[in-house]
Amino acid sequence: MRRLIRILPLFLLCLFACKPEQEKPYQPTAYVLPQPLYFPSLTNIPADNPMTEEGVALGRKLFYDARLSGRDGTDGIRNCASCHHQGNNFDFGGSAGLHHSVMPLVNLAWNTTGLGWNGGVTTLEDMVLAAVTSPVEINADTNQVVRYLQKTDDYPELFYKAFGSHEITFINIERAIAQFVRSLVSADSKFDRYLRGEEQLTQDELEGYLLFVTENGADCFHCHGGGSNALMTTNLYYNNGLDDEFNDPEDRSAITGSHWDRGAYKAPTLRNIAVSSPYMHDGRFTTLDEVIDFYSDSVKNSLTISPLMHHVMQGGVQLTNEEKAQLKAFLNTLTDETFLNNPNYSDPNH
Amino acid sequence: MKKTLFILMLLMAMALVSCKKPVQSGDLTVNINYSVNGKPLITDSLCYQNEAGNEFMITEIQWFISKMELQNEQDEWVELEPRIFYIDTNIPESQILRIASIPVGKYKTLRFTFGLDEAYNQTGLFSNPPESNMFWPDPLGGGYHYMKLNGKYRNENEELAPLNIHLGIGQNTDQSEFYHNYFNVELPISLTIAENTENQLNMFMIIDNWFRNPNLYDFDEFGSAIMQNQTAQQLLKENGKDVFSTIQHSGNQNNITMKNDKTLKRFNNFMHQAAPKPHFWTWENVKRTVESIKDNLKQQS
Repeated sequence: MRRLIRILPLFLLCLFACKPEQEKPYQPTAYVLPQPLYFPSLTNIPADNPMTEEGVALGRKLFYDARLSGRDGTDGIRNCASCHHQGNNFDFGGSAGLHHSVMPLVNLAWNTTGLGWNGGVTTLEDMVLAAVTSPVEINADTNQVVRYLQKTDDYPELFYKAFGSHEITFINIERAIAQFVRSLVSADSKFDRYLRGEEQLTQDELEGYLLFVTENGADCFHCHGGGSNALMTTNLYYNNGLDDEFNDPEDRSAITGSHWDRGAYKAPTLRNIAVSSPYMHDGRFTTLDEVIDFYSDSVKNSLTISPLMHHVMQGGVQLTNEEKAQLKAFLNTLTDETFLNNPNYSDPNH
Repeated sequence: MKKTLFILMLLMAMALVSCKKPVQSGDLTVNINYSVNGKPLITDSLCYQNEAGNEFMITEIQWFISKMELQNEQDEWVELEPRIFYIDTNIPESQILRIASIPVGKYKTLRFTFGLDEAYNQTGLFSNPPESNMFWPDPLGGGYHYMKLNGKYRNENEELAPLNIHLGIGQNTDQSEFYHNYFNVELPISLTIAENTENQLNMFMIIDNWFRNPNLYDFDEFGSAIMQNQTAQQLLKENGKDVFSTIQHSGNQNNITMKNDKTLKRFNNFMHQAAPKPHFWTWENVKRTVESIKDNLKQQS
């Protein structure tokens, strides 16, 4: 009997030791979004999708994973990164064959006025759903995507860490990718360093900046910010005088139903504009020189052109060749190599 | 004994102070209105004419009013909070200025600053839109536009040209000197603030007054791109003195005859087109399609 009493604790110890390891409790770490100089404090982070380290990491993995198509990826690369290339400011860097050119994914956490060229999608979470299901984009079935990811070895655990449940839902897929996209922050261009007093612009770059922010110069700032609006866009919609006839059924008027929005599109950020070719909603310009030439000499008047196109009656802002070169020199200071090469934004699967 | 008496008196004084009746206060709502030629503003409508004979339309008005104060019958000025309001014809709720905790009583004067004075007009004051979108570039003096009034006018060549009355800090030609073009306005009022009552005050921007008194303001000369034109800024600053009122005035140009030519016809034809219809590939359609796929899958399972 004594022997039995001696053995019993050992037996219990073995039992305890053999008990499967308890799952780590769901304790995500809050992700701290930076607050760069002259950026808004207001973000579009929804109350039901706060950013977490785990959520951003999961979103990054999904962003680059062909299995987001609900297939194994051998039928062709289909994920967010198929069209959003980091080196091209997270746009396509050419014609993607879509109705509108691919917009960059940069500093979107501070965009509170709708997404896409016409602003028809209001949240990044919705944008994920739109892109995944669009027949001309990822072209996936959301239920199939969920089923496929659920069967993988790695994703259920990553979803648990991010959202507290091993059961994958498409809502959580949307949330994770939206978190990653919100984490894409560009705030370290030469111009940012100039604003922070860390680096001086060259004389040509300064002259270009002066042109950028003056009505008698290139008159860019009313729509594209600068200085105390370092997003380099108002994120609002304007008809910038590209055309004088409007047949695009997907311009801003398709969303607002207003005549006055015919030919209007979102003013995109000019951050990393040098690597964001092609330009305009339809990608009609391939170089910055063409864009500057357009604003200088080829702006077309129409009833719906934005009143902010002050110089339309002269066909544009009428820049000299020297001024065009200076403006281009300034625009090049908006290239943020830190952003374009940030390892935290690259494909984690390689 | 003296000490005890002193403490007693101190306690009584404290009791008296603590029993003092709190200042009674009420709230005030200032409703911003716009009129042109004596009638309420209709945006995006080519139906106005200024004193110089320019026909025009207004798309939007975005502006700052600051440092509002009320003068009571004892000639004391009461500062109203918040000290700055951003007002935007595109944002209906911004046209209603809500001011809390004004001492009850009668007030005879309202005064305010149109725009922002030197103390407030500092680059970086506003970090968020829509206020931050009013920024006025540092090379031109910095801070913010006091006002952006945007629209179109019929120019000398009978074309619709941009109309931009953008007010802010002016500069001399080499930008070595800056001129603050804000101005202060005082309006006689008869206002009683009662406790627990939603007190109302109407304020009007009489838009045509920007362009006529004391200076005739011609859009063919100063219609657009005036941020670097201190002459235009000064004319508007001087004209601005009688732009604001708490009484709706009837205009002095009630019988305007607009030129009935091809420009107006083109404009009217445009306005009478059917409203643009959303294309199939819109978010709402995508969402509907996705929902129906999900429903089908549920039914199948």
